[in-house]
Amino acid sequence: MFQARPSRRRALAAGVTTAALFLAGPTALAGCTASAPAPEGPDPLEAPARRAESDVALAAAVAQAHSTLAATARALAADRAAHAATLRAELHRVHPDPVPTSTAQPVPPVVPPPASPDAAAARTALTEAMRAAQDEAAALVITLPGYRAALLASVAACCATHTALLT
Amino acid sequence: MAPCRAGVQVPVGALQGALAAEHAAVWVYGVAGAFVSSGLARRLDEAATAHQARRDATQRLLIDAGVTPVPPEPGYLGPEPVTDAASALRLMITAEMDAAGAWRSVVERSPADPDLRGTALEALTAAAVRATRWRATAGATPLTVPFPGAP
Repeated sequence: MFQARPSRRRALAAGVTTAALFLAGPTALAGCTASAPAPEGPDPLEAPARRAESDVALAAAVAQAHSTLAATARALAADRAAHAATLRAELHRVHPDPVPTSTAQPVPPVVPPPASPDAAAARTALTEAMRAAQDEAAALVITLPGYRAALLASVAACCATHTALLT
Repeated sequence: MAPCRAGVQVPVGALQGALAAEHAAVWVYGVAGAFVSSGLARRLDEAATAHQARRDATQRLLIDAGVTPVPPEPGYLGPEPVTDAASALRLMITAEMDAAGAWRSVVERSPADPDLRGTALEALTAAAVRATRWRATAGATPLTVPFPGAP
């Protein structure tokens, strides 16, 4: 990728090492770092995963209903499907066993509305879905641990790029 | 150990990486201006101004943390020489994606600090959106990537 003259590559590598040392440090400094959230209630990634799945369904319906929006909606569906898959993989990594239904907190499924017969309304629906997804992911970026925060930061940024293309 | 800024740890390595990416982006837009059509001048200026503001803010953040900010390089090597509008646009897209990656690292390595993570998320998002808009201008496909800034 884009690089300065070769010496900068070493400088950047040194920066990564510094950051890794920083990451190893905070456990000893409780006053300067956030502790891990208590594992109660649904995993905070559950909602963005469901929303991503819902957006895939919405975008697929829009792509089928409106040829003028098909390319945009299909690209959106592909990105949101990638989000759903990665979020589900992280959820599975942390919770490899399904939670017994007796203790699981019920999470209502996100049901996308059917694609509007009006193309402008369908475009608005996609835009609103992307803005909502961006807002949801951005709020989680502030509170979640590093890897998850970075993952949701990319999700939020991706949703912003789709909003930019839709408006 | 990373210095504390008003009780919040600052991920110095990641911020220096972000600053280096902003230096590079400012340089890229300076070079690209000579090659792209004058109709894009306003958008180019807006992008350059945004990166200059990020650069300055990041320098201040590092100085406040007691760290010497990395200086700009005298020149940068892109993946290919810039010889026309198309190669200039590709370099601009590369610079934006580099910035997105650098700011994503700041998100990942920051403590759960709303100020710093919020700033880094804004910078990542703005870079990703500019990259997508430049791809649209260039007629490149795909226009988006699912995880802007991801390694």
